[in-house]
Amino acid sequence: MRLESLYARGVPVTATTADDPAAQLARRILQATPGGDAQAEAEFCRQFAPRIRLFGLKRLRSEAAAADLVQDVLLLVLQKLRAGAVREPERIASFVLGTARQLCIDTRRNGGRRERLLDTFSLDLEPDDTSDSHELDAARLQHCLQALPERERAVIIMSFYDDCPAETLGAQMGVKSGNVRVIRHRGLKHLRDCLEGSGGAQ
Amino acid sequence: MTPHLHDAELDSRLWSWWLDELDEAQASEVEEDLFACGDCAARLRELLELRDSVRNALRDSRFASVVTPAFVRRLQASGLRLREYHLQPGESVPCTIAPADDFVVSHLHAPLEGVRQVDLVYDDGHTQHRAPHLPFDAAANEVTVIPPVAMLRSLGTATHRMRLLAVTPSSERLLGEYTFNHERWSPG
Repeated sequence: MRLESLYARGVPVTATTADDPAAQLARRILQATPGGDAQAEAEFCRQFAPRIRLFGLKRLRSEAAAADLVQDVLLLVLQKLRAGAVREPERIASFVLGTARQLCIDTRRNGGRRERLLDTFSLDLEPDDTSDSHELDAARLQHCLQALPERERAVIIMSFYDDCPAETLGAQMGVKSGNVRVIRHRGLKHLRDCLEGSGGAQ
Repeated sequence: MTPHLHDAELDSRLWSWWLDELDEAQASEVEEDLFACGDCAARLRELLELRDSVRNALRDSRFASVVTPAFVRRLQASGLRLREYHLQPGESVPCTIAPADDFVVSHLHAPLEGVRQVDLVYDDGHTQHRAPHLPFDAAANEVTVIPPVAMLRSLGTATHRMRLLAVTPSSERLLGEYTFNHERWSPG
């Protein structure tokens, strides 16, 4: 895999500062003897595992595949950091993203790489931070959904139920996809406001 | 990440990304933000939790939902058990909900060509609830309603009526009245 070329080619990079915690962790891992700063590596994994998982869920549409992607990306990135092969730690987030993108492509092409990686490099990942997710109050959600204007509720329900894009929904409702997006945006805002207690849904 | 974005704008942007609605450059920008910003990732996770909770809320719903015929087909395709009633204006139907039913669906047929706004009046014999400005596809000549499952399960013998109204700024006219004569489920 061409991680360096991916990194060098890059994509528009969100500005990071010298104080960026992820960059600081990357520097600590780079400066330590290989595997010598276990605390920094664990914290690095804790920070990036949830982000890689979400990216993997979106690209691969599978919890199991997303969990594998988290392992594989972190293994590769830590391998590069331990080997001193990351030249710009201040751009570590972009590097992790580039790795995740490439591995998603590889995952679609073949599934053999993962076994080879795990044979050569082991990593114990703590569970990602889904464990601290909170259940929404069902009664409150029912109240807030009921309080939405009819069209907003319909669009939110049909969009959320099976991840239906605005274009598809618009065709089914006889309205333009842009209108669906506007209704969806308003509905989402009203729903959030109601759930967070700052409004009665509208 | 994009600190100028309000939470609602961030939600919409993340949800559009999740649904593959963005072009390549926009999607790439969201992904950069997702990896550079822990708060953005947390926001997306919350959004997905909200999505899952809304799915569950629909299944346990205590409110009527107006959907499209295509959405009903997607519910069927996902393996849910639906009991469906098709009514023309003025018709009545004996109806029920079985323990194994996930949803009851009322297909209210009506001439909707040229209609700009449709309101639904739901009359349970005691109170009337008006839902204004329903989503509908005029070409389908149908308004599709999923009554609240929890309410239906709690009913004994009851007559409920739905009325569809075509509304303009200066007037309204009846498109159709539909009567549901509900009986508790009887396996025999």
